[in-house]
Amino acid sequence: MSETVHNIEEKNAYLGQDFLTWLWFCSESNNGQIKDRHGQEYLLYLEQKVTVQGGEGESKDTNVSNGQLSELKEARMGLRSGKKVNQAKVKIEQDSEAWEMQLKAENFDFTGLKTPKVEMKVEEGEDPDSRFLEKMFLIEKSLEVIDDLYLYFLQKRLGPEWNQELSDMKKWIQSGE
Amino acid sequence: MAFLAQTSSFCRYKLVDEVSREFWQEFPEKLLEHKFREIDNTNEERSFGWVNIDNMLDVNWEQSPPYKGEFAAFALRLDTRRISPAVFKKHFRLAWNDLLQKKQEQGKKNISKQEKNDLKESVKNKLMGYTLPVPAVFDVVWNRESNCIYFGSTRQKVKEIFEELFYNSFGLHLNNLTPYYLAGHMLGEKYRDALDNYEPCVFV
Repeated sequence: MSETVHNIEEKNAYLGQDFLTWLWFCSESNNGQIKDRHGQEYLLYLEQKVTVQGGEGESKDTNVSNGQLSELKEARMGLRSGKKVNQAKVKIEQDSEAWEMQLKAENFDFTGLKTPKVEMKVEEGEDPDSRFLEKMFLIEKSLEVIDDLYLYFLQKRLGPEWNQELSDMKKWIQSGE
Repeated sequence: MAFLAQTSSFCRYKLVDEVSREFWQEFPEKLLEHKFREIDNTNEERSFGWVNIDNMLDVNWEQSPPYKGEFAAFALRLDTRRISPAVFKKHFRLAWNDLLQKKQEQGKKNISKQEKNDLKESVKNKLMGYTLPVPAVFDVVWNRESNCIYFGSTRQKVKEIFEELFYNSFGLHLNNLTPYYLAGHMLGEKYRDALDNYEPCVFV
């Protein structure tokens, strides 16, 4: 990796926005059904809030949608005018367990990551670190899902399948209400 | 511990360097070498260092060790004194008036630029002594198997302090797993050119 700081910031924004925009498309076109590297099935969808951004410098323009997937109208309209997702709330579900997090395109920082509930009361004789280890297991599990999807996106984006995917994405963006 | 809260905010890092087997034997000592030092009884503006993740007052890991299963878990404590601008303005004016009076008694009319800067510094130092530092604690969780590190802040300035202290303590470089670096770690050298020349998609 030999890029300058400015170039890296630019590449971060390009990759992050392209990924989150693709993630929205991927989730909607599969009814939210995704699989991780172990073949485990999850439901993944974008929720309130989704922010799309376009332009640069003073001409930078942002649309924010707060609402369920089908109601993210402002953001969908933004996509049609060439904007991309630069921040999204991602919800992941498996059986009765749910995770949610706000993901920023420019740096992949995670804010408000919520895992399935962990029982905080330590029983007598129990390892005092058991709650911590369970919580970290749950946090890493959700990160693994996001990482798997990012790798899947990169392989598609840099591989021969991308033209077909791009064509499907364009149709999806134009068909959105 | 922030990572135990219902929701947590953090960024991710990956070690650039390899970790030797001996490293983990020396690790507790390295933590202690850069442990947090209190500044309550000084007028220092800022202090930062490592503390026990279970108790920010425990700087010697007496309550619990820094190892939890496959993780090393500790915390960055950052204490900062902040002077309210209104308080500073008032005390600077008072000091200015005093200095001006002394100057006039000496038959001088003006306060030089250098004297003004010195006055600012001395008022700031005086007020620092009256202000208690505000403590802040940021969790650090290091997965020793994957060498992935989770740091409990997304604020750029705090991240910079963490990265510098981490290097000074352990002699190891970190990559913040932003989209570009995460892609590099996932895809390896084969895709380096493709990532360096990445152009944004045009969706419409």
